[in-house]
Amino acid sequence: MTKKEYTFDAGYQPQVRAKRGTTQIMLDVIIALIPALCVGVWQFGFAALLPVATSIAACVFFEWAYRKLLHKPSTIGDLSAVLTGLLLSFTLPANAPWWLPVIGGFFAIVIVKQLYGGIGKNFLNPALAGRAFLFASYAMLMTQWVTPNGLKGTAVDAITMATPLSSMKAGVALPEYFTVANMFLGKMPGCFGEISAAALILGGLYLICRKVITWHIPVCFIGTVALVSLIFGGGPEYSNVDWMLANLLSGGLMLGAIFMATDYSTSPVTFKGRCIYGIGCGLLTVIIRRFGGYPEGVSFAILIMNCCAWFLDQLTKRRQFGVSKEDVKAMKAAKKAAKKEAKEAGA
Amino acid sequence: MPFKFHGGVHPNYMKAPDTPVTVITPPPQVVVPMAQHIGAPCKPLVAVGDTVTMGQKIGENPAPVSAPIHSPVSGKVIAIEPRPHPLGDNIPAIVIENDGLDTPCTDLAPLTEAELQDQEAILTRIREAGIVGMGGAMFPTAFKIRGGLGKVDTLIINGAECEPYLNGDHWTMKLHPEELLKGIQLARIASGLDKAYYGIEKNKQDAIDLLNSYNPAQYGVEIVPENVKYPQGAEKMQIKAITNREVKPGGLPAGVGANVISTQTAYAIYRACYEGVPCYQRILTVAGSAIGESHNLQCRVGTPFRYIVEQIGGFKKEPKKIVLGGPMMGLIASNIDAVNIKGTAGILFFTEEEDRTVENPTCIHCGQCLQVCPMKLEPVYMYKYFQKRDFEKMQEYHILDCFECGSCSFNCPGRLPLTHTFKTAKLLFAARAAEEKARAEAAAKEAEAKKAEKEAETK
Repeated sequence: MTKKEYTFDAGYQPQVRAKRGTTQIMLDVIIALIPALCVGVWQFGFAALLPVATSIAACVFFEWAYRKLLHKPSTIGDLSAVLTGLLLSFTLPANAPWWLPVIGGFFAIVIVKQLYGGIGKNFLNPALAGRAFLFASYAMLMTQWVTPNGLKGTAVDAITMATPLSSMKAGVALPEYFTVANMFLGKMPGCFGEISAAALILGGLYLICRKVITWHIPVCFIGTVALVSLIFGGGPEYSNVDWMLANLLSGGLMLGAIFMATDYSTSPVTFKGRCIYGIGCGLLTVIIRRFGGYPEGVSFAILIMNCCAWFLDQLTKRRQFGVSKEDVKAMKAAKKAAKKEAKEAGA
Repeated sequence: MPFKFHGGVHPNYMKAPDTPVTVITPPPQVVVPMAQHIGAPCKPLVAVGDTVTMGQKIGENPAPVSAPIHSPVSGKVIAIEPRPHPLGDNIPAIVIENDGLDTPCTDLAPLTEAELQDQEAILTRIREAGIVGMGGAMFPTAFKIRGGLGKVDTLIINGAECEPYLNGDHWTMKLHPEELLKGIQLARIASGLDKAYYGIEKNKQDAIDLLNSYNPAQYGVEIVPENVKYPQGAEKMQIKAITNREVKPGGLPAGVGANVISTQTAYAIYRACYEGVPCYQRILTVAGSAIGESHNLQCRVGTPFRYIVEQIGGFKKEPKKIVLGGPMMGLIASNIDAVNIKGTAGILFFTEEEDRTVENPTCIHCGQCLQVCPMKLEPVYMYKYFQKRDFEKMQEYHILDCFECGSCSFNCPGRLPLTHTFKTAKLLFAARAAEEKARAEAAAKEAEAKKAEKEAETK
């Protein structure tokens, strides 16, 4: 009788793995953005889907083409390019021409993401960097706010109108539509995906429930903006509460805090680091809005904090299992003593 | 209430706690490897042609960190030669032709009433019966308990069985509750303690209720139901859950006054002391997609995997991988002709179905490895510095404190081989340390030689 021979693989420990991979995570974020997408369509009409579509198509194409030209394995299957395209289009005005996101997508995918090695290796958020690039290059196109459907037929009927943030920057009275309910639901001018705080918060809760993101960055970010703007106010023209509400509910704060600042590769991984990062984003946002040249500060605040992410991780290394606070103190004291001794010995 | 530890994961448990235990008839030929424990391998005490009885001591090494090996069957020794060991290369083994009679050996008599209360007698018996950590680590139990004497104030029995697939401990609790409690009592007396804690995950509620119905307090045992979370059954997590003490980095459990022994080890202690039966069989789980349904088997040590698979109806699919123990921490075996040993808690035959490796694992810096690491390490940076071979930084991130539970790799959406990498890194660190030591020794020798030369010159 001959025995059947088998060959066996070596295999890496552990031999089983969780189902969820990168693709599923990206898909979850895309799902979380759907409520905001619906509000955008509701307020700006189906025509507003054109820049969204070209943005996604451009990002996926650039990702595929870059990796194809450099003979690298294709990564469009992980859906990260789709997500970048979607997020980029959310930060553009609803009436943006179709070619605008194509240029932004090129900058985001090729310059910011792929030149640094692709997914997980970029140090700036690609979508936000793309937006910042467009903002610098096409300032006019990026700040024309089309009137949303919810406000059409009211006294403020116009083709373009001012956002609460730009009114405040100009120091004029807040627009008439400035009510909490309107801003919460998205009945106000603004970028395509940022107008409805309710839809974005819903998406954020979904992401936290699915454990795609942790609460640290959004809560610290939004909390800091709320607290600082309430305490310091925006000048004599506005009450502190109005100033805080305008800061919280208009502009890109919700979109930025929930979807942009939590981008994996450009934010810290430690919980402490995430808290500091969120607080930093919040402070910078308020400072830019209040004292800077632009009415909106979220994207620049996040891009600046992106550069600090690695440093924050280094700064907030965790205490590992089995090391108590006293142990850390003792170790620090011992190090200090050793340094002192070395100094004395040198002297 | 058990204390919580940071992180952990919830794998798909795939357990079959209701599949009854089948006794596998011993094979016509058993192959007993001479290394079934951590420490010095045994030397054969028998020669080819000798007849042996079931339970007869056939291998021994007088070194303190070792455990004797006993024949699992009665029969005739037909060869002493290197045979495939489950954990790697061929190593010396005694091949015994089974006569099928199972004639018991009477060398080890059951302990007397007085001896059952005597610490030294129990410890001697644990050593003589060749009992090792049957959870998988296979550390000689007698040495472990002796090493903790005077330092250990808490004895913990590990009944978490947090690894997916495995049911051996669960079935031991269900089949032998009273014996198990008596075994724990013996381990407790051997450790010189008044109380032992038995940590069991709550997914084994039937076993917890059954054990509680035998009034564990009369044996000095307290049952602690624990949260279901991998790696609850890891030694350090078990100690944290029951005592809230954390083993220091690089330290031993005894350093925080705790010793952990596993469920089947406690049962083996009972058998050795009350029945005079040494350690030569255990309950293990054979499962995986190549097998189909899970099988819980009572199996003699030295049974070839091929024979076990034949006994349960063969493969349903072509197996791709053999995993020894659970799928999270289990090691890979490469030979189906290897045999089960004292520490084999499970044999899993996996096909592509369980495989989720990808061609280009990519880190997306999501930080989930930090969230699940029970040691509160930062796997993402450990991995990045390993790729640069930056040993200083790796040490700064405490790579040596990783106990390879596999949680980070399990959860990694980018499918990075994190645990595998840290294992490799630890081996590299050990090699570097050895190299440095050798270099230092060589330098010292050279200096001495020079010194001697100089002295000779001056003379």
